Amino acid sequence: MFLHNLKYELCCSLRVKDLIIWLILFPMFLGTVFKIAFGSIYEKVDSFSAIPAAVVEVQEDPALHQVLDSLTEGEDALLDVQYVSADEADALLRDDKVKGILHADGRLSLSVTDEGFEQTMLRTFAEQYNANRTVITDCAMNDPAAVPAVVESLRAEWKPVTDLPLSDGNPNYMVVYFTNLLAMVAMYGSITGLHITIQNQGNLSKLGARKCCSPTPKSISLCASLLGSMLVQSVCMVIAVSFLHFILKIDFGSRLGMVYLTSVVGGILGLAFGFWIGSIGRFQTGTKTGICFCVSMFCCFCSGLMVGNMKMIIARFAPWFNKINPAALITDSLYYLNIDSDYSRWSGAMITMAVMTVVLILLGFIISRRKKYASL
Amino acid sequence: MQVFNAFLKVMRSKMSSGIIYIVIFLVIAVIMTNSAKTDATKVFEGRKIGVVVYDDDNTEESRALKEYIGKRQDLKELERDADLIKDTIYMNWNAEIHYVMAIKKGYAEKLRSGDYNDLFENYHMHDSYENVMMEQLLTEYLNTVGAYQAGGIALSEAISRTESVLSAETEVTIRNYDENAADHDMSPLFDDYFRYLPYILLSVLIEVLCPVLLTMNKKIIRYRTDCSSVRPTSYMLQIILGSALFVVCIWLIFMIAGTAFFGMFRGRAWLTLLNSFLFAMVAVSLSVLIASFHPGELVVNLLAQILGLGMSFLCGIFVPMEWLSESVAAAAKFLPAYWYIQANDLICGKQAFDGHRILVCMLIEAAFAVVFTLASMVIRRYEAGKAAAA
Repeated sequence: MFLHNLKYELCCSLRVKDLIIWLILFPMFLGTVFKIAFGSIYEKVDSFSAIPAAVVEVQEDPALHQVLDSLTEGEDALLDVQYVSADEADALLRDDKVKGILHADGRLSLSVTDEGFEQTMLRTFAEQYNANRTVITDCAMNDPAAVPAVVESLRAEWKPVTDLPLSDGNPNYMVVYFTNLLAMVAMYGSITGLHITIQNQGNLSKLGARKCCSPTPKSISLCASLLGSMLVQSVCMVIAVSFLHFILKIDFGSRLGMVYLTSVVGGILGLAFGFWIGSIGRFQTGTKTGICFCVSMFCCFCSGLMVGNMKMIIARFAPWFNKINPAALITDSLYYLNIDSDYSRWSGAMITMAVMTVVLILLGFIISRRKKYASL
Repeated sequence: MQVFNAFLKVMRSKMSSGIIYIVIFLVIAVIMTNSAKTDATKVFEGRKIGVVVYDDDNTEESRALKEYIGKRQDLKELERDADLIKDTIYMNWNAEIHYVMAIKKGYAEKLRSGDYNDLFENYHMHDSYENVMMEQLLTEYLNTVGAYQAGGIALSEAISRTESVLSAETEVTIRNYDENAADHDMSPLFDDYFRYLPYILLSVLIEVLCPVLLTMNKKIIRYRTDCSSVRPTSYMLQIILGSALFVVCIWLIFMIAGTAFFGMFRGRAWLTLLNSFLFAMVAVSLSVLIASFHPGELVVNLLAQILGLGMSFLCGIFVPMEWLSESVAAAAKFLPAYWYIQANDLICGKQAFDGHRILVCMLIEAAFAVVFTLASMVIRRYEAGKAAAA
């Protein structure tokens, strides 16, 4: 009887258009849009590239040329300069072809249109250049014989900062949007979970009423529905991860197998969440679906689906909420898999998800255990 | 006006999702307006980043450096926990801490001996402007201290002179190429408000108007209307009147809210009004076109999401155009939201004001509305012909 119910649960699931659209097609669309929109942000916005600047010389300054040449060479060049006239520089700045104009007239001054990182770094360069001239003048006044040593010291190239790598994972934080997308698919599983309770509850649907009259024990019917839905939800999660990783080439880190496992567990948590909501109260199906969608989207919003750093903001004001928000737990687990070298934090998040899943399913069973009604 | 009344009645029953969109958009606009800083400074202050410094050396020299960093950047405190540092740096987007470093033990001694290699540790996640900026700042400081030391000046005096010489002002001029900027009052928030409007207009109009038109065009209702005494022309006019009333009401709600948030429109701001009205026309003509294909409610929901989010991500609404790849920008030109955003950027000062270009953008938007309307008329005529033939 259990296998019979399971078979029909699977057959029914395949015919639900909502499931195919919202759990398979919509995440594919959203993932593609995210990829198009965020695909080159990391390279364009966060990764450093040489700052384009125009240099206008009121009087020829060979020392400045020497300094600028040293900063524009090599792969790690700080600046990308063009020596132009004042009018040309003005046109370049107006068209945003350069981030600033360095005016060389003994001292360096700067013209910009904005106050971003590039402009601040150009200012720091101008400050350093002007400071160097002051240092040389100061030292010449103190001890003229020391000037060559001072100039030599200013030319010296030091490497004062040593990088301590924090992770071997993918450092592109735009991955957060894709892990949130997986959390959204998992949370949409709550709609599937909701329908299990509704379709098995005599006072909530006609199908439930018919099932109550049937000789199949309710526990078997519910377990078959749950298992069938879990299988379908897991397939949806696997499709979502595969599409993101293999088609859109999203790098979730080096542990793809664990990413699949985490997503499947997340999907089952989403389903359990819907199963529990479905069992509460006697609201209409539409109302319960609305509640489920609202709660799911709120959880996804709080975990950063719409605003990438929302989870960090919440961590500042209500850190406990991130520990119980199912969407945040899913994104956290995927983040730990990408960034951490060990499994300690990931295991903690997975255990929390597993415990929450079991508790929610048990609560759902307890609340919806009734099967006899005086009147329907 | 029975058809018109029925149209409004159906619309009332379908309005709930539209109201949710409108309320959320307006609430977010209110929050943004209240939290916005209004001081439009014209003095260059530069970009400051949040920096955490762990001082393992704890000497007078290291404390002087920490103090210097504090003057140039925002010093922050963070517990020295590897996972916490990792999480903080990874999520540096809009967060308060961008750079975490340690002054290594022996800093003062190495400084005294003139060896400036390997003095600091940077907790590094990925290459970024923040990293380069801080390295530039530290190198600038050390070079100056080193030069003074090479000039025969004692370390403590060299540090003191370095701070003094590096705090000397360098002249920075902020140029504004928007000559007519004084003619209007458009804060960045005003730009944001009108930037996000196409997403809401598309979502609300498709989610609400499509189901209403579909209901009115249901065979069972349409046949009953056709055999009633209402003339077909009158029927069409009432439907058009109802749709127009709905669109104008929705558009007016946003314009009135805009006035409440940013004050009365003046100068160039009126152009944004015209631009948004044209886009509302595009959205309504698109909704009518979608309704002509008689999709199910599920498909309408999906199309609303796909068109709303798709245009928002591809046309520069959610993500600035300059961040998108060239091929995406080229493809976006075939979408009406691209021209809306281009016009909005020109009006709000993101690009140099150019009346001719604004006119071209608006004409292209209008052309989209006309093409969508013509397409839906062709589909209707084709269907009518098919029905007559049957």
